[in-house]
Amino acid sequence: MGIIFGKRKHASRVTEQDKAVLQLKQQRDKLKQYQKKIELALAKDRELAKQLLTEGKKDRAKLLLRKKRYQEQLLERTDGQLENLERMTHDLEFAQVEVQVINGLKQGNEALKKVNDLLKLEDVERILEETREGVEKQEEINALLSGGLTEEDEEAVEAELHDIIEHSLPNVPEGLLPVRESESEEESLPDVPTTPVKEKMKSKVRERVALEA
Amino acid sequence: MDKMPEQFEFPWQHSFPPFFTLQPHSETRARQISVWRALILDYFRFAKTCTLDIREASHHPLFNNASINRKLDNEFILAALSDLQRTQNAAPVDKQRHRWEIYWHTLEEWGNLIYNYVTNRGATGSVLTLFELTQGEDVQDEEFCGLETDVLVKALRVLEGEGKCEVITSDDLEGVKFF
Repeated sequence: MGIIFGKRKHASRVTEQDKAVLQLKQQRDKLKQYQKKIELALAKDRELAKQLLTEGKKDRAKLLLRKKRYQEQLLERTDGQLENLERMTHDLEFAQVEVQVINGLKQGNEALKKVNDLLKLEDVERILEETREGVEKQEEINALLSGGLTEEDEEAVEAELHDIIEHSLPNVPEGLLPVRESESEEESLPDVPTTPVKEKMKSKVRERVALEA
Repeated sequence: MDKMPEQFEFPWQHSFPPFFTLQPHSETRARQISVWRALILDYFRFAKTCTLDIREASHHPLFNNASINRKLDNEFILAALSDLQRTQNAAPVDKQRHRWEIYWHTLEEWGNLIYNYVTNRGATGSVLTLFELTQGEDVQDEEFCGLETDVLVKALRVLEGEGKCEVITSDDLEGVKFF
């Protein structure tokens, strides 16, 4: 980490692939320049051919047009080459992206592995075992404690329980009362008096009146 | 650079004879220099060129107004250029201070313009040729289209100092990788 060489110190971030891409792109630039040159030449030839025709030099004009046609074919061919170059460039760039993705996955994987290493299976088992032992111990203690209390306190507990039940007993019938009433009502309904009885009564009264009169 | 762009409109001062003579009064001179500064930058921005040779400047339409028969002497030009250099708007290319580069954007500004363009295109992390940065079809509407390669490289070097790119110049490769 020299201070003097600090500026030059960091390694170049240009990879071999970058250089390859650059090479391709440069090639593409050259082809484009070449195309430009041919296009300019084509325009010039066309003008020249026109001029020759007006001058009546038909053969020379024809020759020129033939040359122009050939150059046009060249142009088409360079188009194909350009496409190839572009595709290659994109392939290379995409491959680089893929490498980056893989690297990212690899790093993630390693990190995951490290975390997993921290959690060894035996450790987990041991921890679970210890927890279980702890729980058992706690239960034992509970049992011991509650067992020590029973002799005297169990009676007190029973007594209290009875007390509560007794206090709450009178309340119980109240809730049940209406049901019984309705039942007894039905049972204790007076018999419907029969008409003969009334008539008897009436006749008795009449008899009495008659007797008095 | 000798070709005069037809549309460039010179300010009224350019037809004002005393404008071409360095004024003795210091305040007036400062004012005069500042107008020349602006004029030089405007002209070069318009002409989209960056280089100027003082030895040929007397033929340059900017420094030679034939219609009023006035031209700027080399000393004056040097004074104006030195003032531009003070603000990083110009820099001598050779030790004799004959050949100059005029930056109507400072190198730092050029760098930022290019870097913004690259980030907007999502091209960080990839390599570009110097050719496609200044001549490519995609940059035709950018201000740095047609920028001279020497100036481009200098602007990129500024960016490189900021860690935003790395200029590649090895094995007849010429390009730049942006980060």
